[in-house]
Amino acid sequence: MTDILRISGPLTLWLTAFSAVYGLQGLICSPRWAEAGLDLAAGRMALALAASLVLGLQVAFLLALRTTRFASCSGFVRTLSLGLSTVALVASAWTLIPVATTSACL
Amino acid sequence: MTALRLHRELTRIWASEPGWKGWFTTVNHNDLGRMFIVASIVFFVIGGVLAMLIRAQLASPRSAFMAPETYAQVFTMHGTIMMFLFAIPLIEGVAVYLLPKMLGTRDLAFPRLTAYGFWCYVLGGSLLILSLLLGIAPDSGWFMYPPLSSTLGSPGINSDFWLLGITFVEISAISAAVEITVTILRYRAPGMSLDRMPVYAWYILVVAVMILTGFPPMILGSILLELERAFGMPFFQVENGGDSLLWQHLFWLFGHPEVYIIFLPAAAVISTILPVMARTTLLGYGWVVAAAVSLGVLSFGIWVHHMFTTGIPHMGLAFFSAASTLVAVPTAVQIFAWIGTLWKGRPELHLPMLWILAFFATFVIGGLTGVMVAVVPFDWQVHDTHFVVAHLHYVLVGGFVFPMLAALYYWLPHVTGRRRFFKLGETAFWLIMVGFHITFLAVHWAGLLGQRRRTHTYDEGQGWEIINLIASIGGFVTAIGFALVILDIVVNAAVAVRGSRDPWQAGTLEWAMPTPPAAYNFASLPEIRSRDPLRDDPALPVRIARGEGWLGDASRGRRESLTVATATGEPAQVVVLPGNTGLPLLMAVTTGGIFVGMLLKLYWLVPLAALGVATLAARWAWGLGATRDEGPVEGRPGLVLALASESVDPPGWWGSLFLLLADATLLGSLLFGYAFLWTVAPNWPPPTWAEPGLLAPSLALVGAALSVTGIQLADLRLRQERGPWLGFLLGLAGSVALALAAGMVLLGTDPTAHAYNATLWVLGGFVVLHAGLAGLMTLYLTCRYAAGFVTGRRIGEARIVRLWTDYAAGTGLLALAAAWLPGAVA
Repeated sequence: MTDILRISGPLTLWLTAFSAVYGLQGLICSPRWAEAGLDLAAGRMALALAASLVLGLQVAFLLALRTTRFASCSGFVRTLSLGLSTVALVASAWTLIPVATTSACL
Repeated sequence: MTALRLHRELTRIWASEPGWKGWFTTVNHNDLGRMFIVASIVFFVIGGVLAMLIRAQLASPRSAFMAPETYAQVFTMHGTIMMFLFAIPLIEGVAVYLLPKMLGTRDLAFPRLTAYGFWCYVLGGSLLILSLLLGIAPDSGWFMYPPLSSTLGSPGINSDFWLLGITFVEISAISAAVEITVTILRYRAPGMSLDRMPVYAWYILVVAVMILTGFPPMILGSILLELERAFGMPFFQVENGGDSLLWQHLFWLFGHPEVYIIFLPAAAVISTILPVMARTTLLGYGWVVAAAVSLGVLSFGIWVHHMFTTGIPHMGLAFFSAASTLVAVPTAVQIFAWIGTLWKGRPELHLPMLWILAFFATFVIGGLTGVMVAVVPFDWQVHDTHFVVAHLHYVLVGGFVFPMLAALYYWLPHVTGRRRFFKLGETAFWLIMVGFHITFLAVHWAGLLGQRRRTHTYDEGQGWEIINLIASIGGFVTAIGFALVILDIVVNAAVAVRGSRDPWQAGTLEWAMPTPPAAYNFASLPEIRSRDPLRDDPALPVRIARGEGWLGDASRGRRESLTVATATGEPAQVVVLPGNTGLPLLMAVTTGGIFVGMLLKLYWLVPLAALGVATLAARWAWGLGATRDEGPVEGRPGLVLALASESVDPPGWWGSLFLLLADATLLGSLLFGYAFLWTVAPNWPPPTWAEPGLLAPSLALVGAALSVTGIQLADLRLRQERGPWLGFLLGLAGSVALALAAGMVLLGTDPTAHAYNATLWVLGGFVVLHAGLAGLMTLYLTCRYAAGFVTGRRIGEARIVRLWTDYAAGTGLLALAAAWLPGAVA
């Protein structure tokens, strides 16, 4: 079961983080954000922080899977989990580029 | 024991009942796999006839062939049947038939669940076909967008058939996904570690987990829309705090992964058949597995690309446009792995290979038009046109139907034990290929010229006449081709000559048995040392038949199989599987009572049927286990293993774990919907927030704590061989308290007044249902203990109840916190 978690963990983290950042963007663009006394600049900051956190977590996951403590005993699972962790890191970077490049609520 | 005597003994133990009764009482995966496949082909034929009606209608402008109302029902049912009654059940059927054989085991993890799923599918599907025959079929498109599908746009019973019928059918998908997941993770031949697993099993594992996490959002959406239609709970009505876009989110949270749920099994088939046809092994096994897992997860992050025209801000569009382009990468990894496999092998052009080549040509075109519609400005231009219709047919027919035809011809000798003799299949291949491309290249063209989809006719003079006529002619050629395929299969299955055991010289285990296969698959379970065991050891089938592997002794006279450690494939337990029974059919019919009661507004029938289901479920589970300790049993001479019923993690625990994964996804989708309405829907906040006070939250906390600690205490006392009564009592009291606390959410709240109130009712109902279920399971466990089924050694059932109770307490607190938090903060 732990090996299945090693394999499925990184991309599941990507999916969770991606959905959460999308949700945050929805919240920032909603009336609730303004009602809380926050503006779009604060929203942009929150999005940038969230994206940085996601990337940091993905890097941490990748590094952890290389350590003897968290790596699998099976060579196949170790290679597969490292490969998928790299995919998750690249996917996070690619799909969160809009945080830095496009308007948030137009 | 000689091979023949062993065969006779095992046949006596594993065979289905003879005659017509066997159809209704079989739980064997060979029978049920074939029944799934045949039923899905019947539905495919019905869906195909509807497709021909559509093409007949569109063949000429201003056609009077069908009235607009009829056309709406026909195109809705065509999509619905092909997606829900053909594609998914065919995937299930093929997996049900093949997986145990490829994994080197005797049956799926939960044979009765296979049968229950099959009967739910047939009954639910028949309900939908009945609506078509009565002229009251769903008519709002296969994705049922409200308000068109709500009582405003569809006041009749039409949409109810879809919402209830499809939910009924999806019980089958969830059932199959649970048992496929558990089977792949635990029911493999000894020694089959994860890296020795057939690539087909990897793909199907990914697909099964996708079904468990992809279907619940749509099931939730169907429940919410039916609640709105039946009881006026306004989840999708803007004036009362709802939002019709919520449906689109929930539907496409399911709908886009669904595309990959359909494609990945086809990719599994290609990755299995292609190396055999190329006389080599799959290039880049690890890369292909990584690509399948990546594609499975990435497909959940692109649902909004079906909603590019709904006014989403640029950043949201950009997120999903980026994610949509990303999926091309793992898809390309697979395509290149297949091309590489062809390159390194010596391909032979048999009929399955022809279909795989047709797949390459067609799916790549569909993939390229997919990249086109992933680009937002292009999508805005072609949205809701026939271009999208053509794209999805290239992807689904090219990416699913063609590989499945390859699978059909590849495994036909296995199912029938015969060698194909009549060669109608080649003629059918060319008719389908040419007909399909004529049709859908033309449909692309009509879409680019602006022809809208779901419109029953068009005027002359728009330049679409000749294109549509060509498309319709192509459609009928395709239909003739499919009719020839069916004729070819029937004729070859019935009268062709007997074939050899492994006609393709494949290396996977399903060919290591006589064909057609015996009910028990393997006379003994082989020890696996490579990914292609049959290729590496051609004498393996003989040794299996002689009973020289695991469980090669039938003297215990019961249906036995093995479970293994998930990663390493080390043998772990001996499992005793249940025999033939009509209980799954009875349970499916009773479950149908719930849906029919809702459909016909016979609400008295709903609780009655639910009670019937609970009673039958108790009867179902009561037949398992034993009242005496048997101790370890011999797995092979000199090696003993524990019985699963005397282990701490029996298969039922694993099944529960994955079923709860689906349930947790449903709750997650509900919380997502709640957050969506709160942030995006107009007419929020609601007039009043629910105020929790002190009593209800205290009751919930005490209830959750009692139910968790109670069942833990019972577990501990059972292990110490002491009386667990106090633990059972505390657990029961905790579940009742939690249900009462949730019930207080509903009190004094009018669910029809605002979407917020309606959401509170669903959250509260979720907690009541789960706490009630945990309470019933604790009560059941108490009875089992009193009857002598549960002891310190036979602790598995207590572990299962503990899992459910912990889950009910955890999700109960989460759901109630979500319900009360806004009121507490306000």
